[in-house]
Amino acid sequence: MNVFIREIKANLKSLFFWSIGVLAVIAGGMGKYAGFESSGQDIGAMFSQFPKELLAIFGVGNLDLSTAAGFYGVIYIYLLIMAGIHAAMLGANILAKEERDKTSEFLFVKPISRQGIITAKVMAGLVNVLLFNILSLLMSIGIAAKTAAEENLNGDILMLMAGMLFFQLIFLFIGTAMAALSPKPRAAASGAAGLLLGSYLIYALIQVSGKLDGLKYLSPFKYFEAEIIMASKSLDVFFIVLSLAISGICLAMTYARYTRKDLSV
Amino acid sequence: MNMFIHELKANGKSILIWSCALSCVAILFLSFFSSFYESADAFQSLLEGFPPFVLKAFGINAEILTSFVGFYAFIFLYVVLCGTIQAMNLGTAAISKETTRKTADFILTKPVSRKQILTAKLLSVLASLLITDVVFFLTAFVMERIMNNGKTYYKEFILITASLVCIQLFFMVLGFLVSVLARKIKSVISVSLSTVFGFFIVKMIGDALDEEKLQYLTPFSYFDSNTILRRGGYEVRFVIISIVFIILALVAGYIIYTRKDIHAA
Repeated sequence: MNVFIREIKANLKSLFFWSIGVLAVIAGGMGKYAGFESSGQDIGAMFSQFPKELLAIFGVGNLDLSTAAGFYGVIYIYLLIMAGIHAAMLGANILAKEERDKTSEFLFVKPISRQGIITAKVMAGLVNVLLFNILSLLMSIGIAAKTAAEENLNGDILMLMAGMLFFQLIFLFIGTAMAALSPKPRAAASGAAGLLLGSYLIYALIQVSGKLDGLKYLSPFKYFEAEIIMASKSLDVFFIVLSLAISGICLAMTYARYTRKDLSV
Repeated sequence: MNMFIHELKANGKSILIWSCALSCVAILFLSFFSSFYESADAFQSLLEGFPPFVLKAFGINAEILTSFVGFYAFIFLYVVLCGTIQAMNLGTAAISKETTRKTADFILTKPVSRKQILTAKLLSVLASLLITDVVFFLTAFVMERIMNNGKTYYKEFILITASLVCIQLFFMVLGFLVSVLARKIKSVISVSLSTVFGFFIVKMIGDALDEEKLQYLTPFSYFDSNTILRRGGYEVRFVIISIVFIILALVAGYIIYTRKDIHAA
């Protein structure tokens, strides 16, 4: 229990700064919509002239930018990036920090099993990730209410945030798994970062090429795409199951390897 | 000289990994030139419908935009993303690793001034980045020879590739400044990943929403490859801002570090 409380306290500052970042992105994006709306420009016509690939690279794709929902859809991918970095770094560091800061000898001789420690830390990670998600949700709803009151985005926002939660879980547990697998503590965070960057580049490659639909299973960014979710008004169950599967496998790996790991002191 | 060579060797594995990463990005993304070319044809016919003075006003040169260099500029942003993560990582780690690995009192008690230490380290980071950039350039050039069936715009190709070095310099110095100001950075990759992606998101949102003021907030916009292509050169105001920032940050970093209390623990 102590471990859980300590981890929550230790990660609060980071969560605070990340929420400011999220606020900036949502406010910036939706603020621009408010600007467009009041100036009465027909953005939709403006964007329809550009080639599809050019639009895709900005994440505009098939989104209708004359609606507030379209604008929110554009910034959604960037919220995903931020959520992913937060979750991956959190997951990797929360386990690796003991070896990195040389506090392993202190913590692991306490009368608590390694599994208990992992559970406490994973719980703290989950709470953090959940807080990030809820904060993003509330900020989105709040800012949408102010800038796009005539459209009710709440349903869309709720669904997109639910998708983001599964996305965060994937990277949180990829982080913890990397920490369990890496002999050097710093390699954990770097590995998790590499996987995140790789996922984003695969996503970009799919968008730019307009082909390679098969690759979409390799990048969690493709599991939860704003335009698909908002158009079909639902999350793809297959991708939810896939996300949970990846998260579950990584969590299992974390427990399995970390309990047997030779911790470097 | 010793320090320079030592740092270079210490970063050897990192240089190898990043060179491979950048080359992979070049190969994977550039291999889709042919499909871009097909849809670009349609785009070009659309543009041909406009009177020439309209195209000039918007700076749209259809021929160059749909050539290989045009596609190169299109995907170059993702190359820069990777390169800048490497740059900021190396720049931040160069100084902060002395504190985290407890080697600070070793190096600082040697008969070399702190300024010499900083210079050797920064030059070694610069050399590491240049090695990676040269490997990338060669790979990109080979791809150009293989995939290009039209005109080769050498000047633009080199200008765009050189912009990678400029933006990397910016982030390297930013990382250097951060590491000098911070007491102890426990996880360098967290700092560099978040900062780089932060600026990246600002650029993407600024471009998608067509917000000119945001261009000043992010180094990715200072050397935007599409702008370079349009103007045939860099934008003077941004070059000046970059030079001013780099000089000020370096000077500030040197002054602070030479006077600072360094914690060996």
